[in-house]
Amino acid sequence: MADFSWNTQSPLERALVPGHHGVTGTQVGVMLEEVRDINLVQVMARRGKVVETVKAAKKVFGVEPPSTPGTAAGRHATLIWSGPDQFIAFSARSERDHFSKLSDAFAGVASLSDQSDGRCLIRIGGPRARQALSKFCSLDLDDRAFPPGAAATTSIDHTATNIWRGADSSDGHAVFHILVFTSFADSLWHTIQDAALEYGVQASLAHTA
Amino acid sequence: MRIACPFCGERENGEFTYLGDAAPKRPNFVVDGGESPERIEDAFYDYVYLRDNLAGVMREYWYHGGGCRSWLVAERNTVTHEFIAVTAAPGAGAASAMRAGE
Repeated sequence: MADFSWNTQSPLERALVPGHHGVTGTQVGVMLEEVRDINLVQVMARRGKVVETVKAAKKVFGVEPPSTPGTAAGRHATLIWSGPDQFIAFSARSERDHFSKLSDAFAGVASLSDQSDGRCLIRIGGPRARQALSKFCSLDLDDRAFPPGAAATTSIDHTATNIWRGADSSDGHAVFHILVFTSFADSLWHTIQDAALEYGVQASLAHTA
Repeated sequence: MRIACPFCGERENGEFTYLGDAAPKRPNFVVDGGESPERIEDAFYDYVYLRDNLAGVMREYWYHGGGCRSWLVAERNTVTHEFIAVTAAPGAGAASAMRAGE
């Protein structure tokens, strides 16, 4: 049998060109990053098993999953609301048997789906991130409506996405995370970058710790 | 137009898909219950094809496919397009049990 191996490749292999884009000079209004080496597990409570699912999540992550659009910072993972009675467990890719461990923890109460290589995570920060986002995202991303820890599932550029706001950067600017299906990542990246060119874009790669 | 999803909050209408009247109930006949085929056919014809064309407030199914992917029931005024109430359709999420006929 011929030797065969899979090569993992980022969906932004071509779209992401690290460096400065847009306005001439060094002005950076928007920091655009692809976050690699992520673990994503979609957890959906089975019918009538919501209480049990919450209990299992608390045992594994130390926190209850959010019951309304938002995020919850748990042990080694952030739990992101993705719909009624479902959430995404997002963590750094470290342990190899992460998914099977979670499968065991939620056995019989929730259905799990490994989305680690199914979605692409894009992080948008910088002083003009909100202005750039407002060109193609219909959500109100103002502090009052979308504070740190807020989350939403929404259509951005006709593409299904999960968006959430993490902790502000050290210089006090809002940081937004967008999860998108890998096959739409290239298109969405171009949309975001084009929208941000007038503010100056710094594009780069990031890895989860 | 913006629609207030009971799960997500207010969203633009482009995230939603309209299905239609939430009133029709699927006919439920007992198998070999002695009902005439004509009556069963009539009932299903009504259920599948016949709709009232209301001018005023009606209950409708809407689908939040661009958001939380939940089925919703909206009370909407077809004359003014005002949404009076939007609630989760029976069976949305995992908490409530599915009700027969909806």
